[in-house]
Amino acid sequence: MNNLVFGKYIPIDSLMHRLDPRAKLIGLFLMIAAVFIPRSWIVFGVIAVFLAIGLILAKIGIKMIVQSFKPMIMMMIFLLVINSLSIRTGEVLFTIGTFNIYSDAIFNTLFVIVRLLLMISITTLLTATTKPLDLTMGIEWMLKPLEMIHFPTHEVAMMVSIALRFIPTIIEETIRIMNAQKSRGVDFENGKLTEKITAILSLIVPLFSVAFERAYELADAMEARGYVPGAERTRYHVLKFRLLDFLFIFICAAILAFSIASRFFL
Amino acid sequence: MAIRFKSLSYIYDKDMPYAHKALDDINLEIKEGIITAIIGETGSGKSTLVEHLNALLLPSEGSLEILDYNLVANQKVKFLKPLRKDVGLVFQFSEYQLFEETVLKDVAFGPLNFGFTPDEAIKRAKEALAMVKIDESLFETSPLELSGGQKRRVAIAGILACDPKIIVLDEPTAGLDPSGAKEIIGLFVGLNEKLNKTIIIVSHDNEMVYNYCEETVVLSHGQIKYHGPTLDLFADQEMLKEYDLLEPQIVTFKNMLAEKGFKISKEARTIEMVVKETVRQLKK
Repeated sequence: MNNLVFGKYIPIDSLMHRLDPRAKLIGLFLMIAAVFIPRSWIVFGVIAVFLAIGLILAKIGIKMIVQSFKPMIMMMIFLLVINSLSIRTGEVLFTIGTFNIYSDAIFNTLFVIVRLLLMISITTLLTATTKPLDLTMGIEWMLKPLEMIHFPTHEVAMMVSIALRFIPTIIEETIRIMNAQKSRGVDFENGKLTEKITAILSLIVPLFSVAFERAYELADAMEARGYVPGAERTRYHVLKFRLLDFLFIFICAAILAFSIASRFFL
Repeated sequence: MAIRFKSLSYIYDKDMPYAHKALDDINLEIKEGIITAIIGETGSGKSTLVEHLNALLLPSEGSLEILDYNLVANQKVKFLKPLRKDVGLVFQFSEYQLFEETVLKDVAFGPLNFGFTPDEAIKRAKEALAMVKIDESLFETSPLELSGGQKRRVAIAGILACDPKIIVLDEPTAGLDPSGAKEIIGLFVGLNEKLNKTIIIVSHDNEMVYNYCEETVVLSHGQIKYHGPTLDLFADQEMLKEYDLLEPQIVTFKNMLAEKGFKISKEARTIEMVVKETVRQLKK
């Protein structure tokens, strides 16, 4: 449970951590677009260099990035197999039994994999350097225009931030209940199907009962402090764009522009 | 010697930039057949220490001998089930571990996992429930419908039913009313006296520690600051100040009596014992 890297916030201080969450969100969208447009390895190289600079500025170790790739390995193998079976163009690279593997299959797969890895790294960079609550504030700001068609941006943001706020609590709770059940002889890793089902039940039932209890308590606490859905409210923590944020967005936009240009010139 | 920690360290999130050393070179021997308290401020490593006792956590460095088992850093453990049967761990807010349809089934869950036959598991469950004074009329109700104190007692019965040799309790009385807390502590003191069980209690409640625990371990920032007789620890004003421990009211009371010329023995650890000695001296 603790090994989950993807989407985990790393509570340290760095240049990337101090950027405005809105700037980072805009940057994320620009960069993801930049990853999906090009057909050239050079552009990937450029993006990778900027990404590496970003990771260094965020003080995120390469180990963590590699760990975030782990869940993707199965998908990559699957991709490779499907592509090898379906793409029959280019030169024959090698033969397994009587089956030919073509160069296009390999290159195509590599291309998609690099795209995926870049995308995961970019997203990890965002989530590792931005507190979930700041992220929701950023998303709320981006959804603001939707208020014109009476979309309840604030309520949605509140729901999302409550959900995000309770993820670590629920993970903690899960670990605690798992430990308690392990002490009673439950084996979560091995065992027959029926034993596995009991093991999962012994975790899910307490988890639900705690979650409901928590939800009632939170609702009471919010009401006690005068929370009214939809009411006009001010913020304790106000987001402010600074020069650095504009610079960051500018760099991301420049990369996107380069990526678009590469379709025409490279 | 029931438990022996040998230069054991534990590091959370070992490979992360925010790795945190929760236990730092712990050397500790906990005696068999007595009640030992583990105290220390929040975040001092008490729970981490305790979670090593039935291999929920494995040492990052060093080793831990417990009963006939030996846990060594970076070595796979092959005897998880027998170890967890012999060392029963009652967690903080243990009532959240209840999940079965009936109270009886929930208590029998542990014994069943540890390989007792269904009949024997039910028998043990009934005995354990009797020990924690849960009435037979509640055996077939859902554990989720019980009151907080009853839930806690059912959860404790769930551990007792496995017949552990060592019982470890993490804040067993947190959130209970005073009479409920006293009852729970009384239960474990009884288990220690009658069945000679080794008991380890993690607690913030210095009054309880002074009243019932023979030895005390003081943890601070993942290191052991004191290990020895509880009475010696709380008799030493300087240690109390150094480790920022609150003096139990009985000790204050004993000190005030001493100022007035009464001679109260060091061994008087409960209010009853102190009052008895005072009355005897008044009569003279």
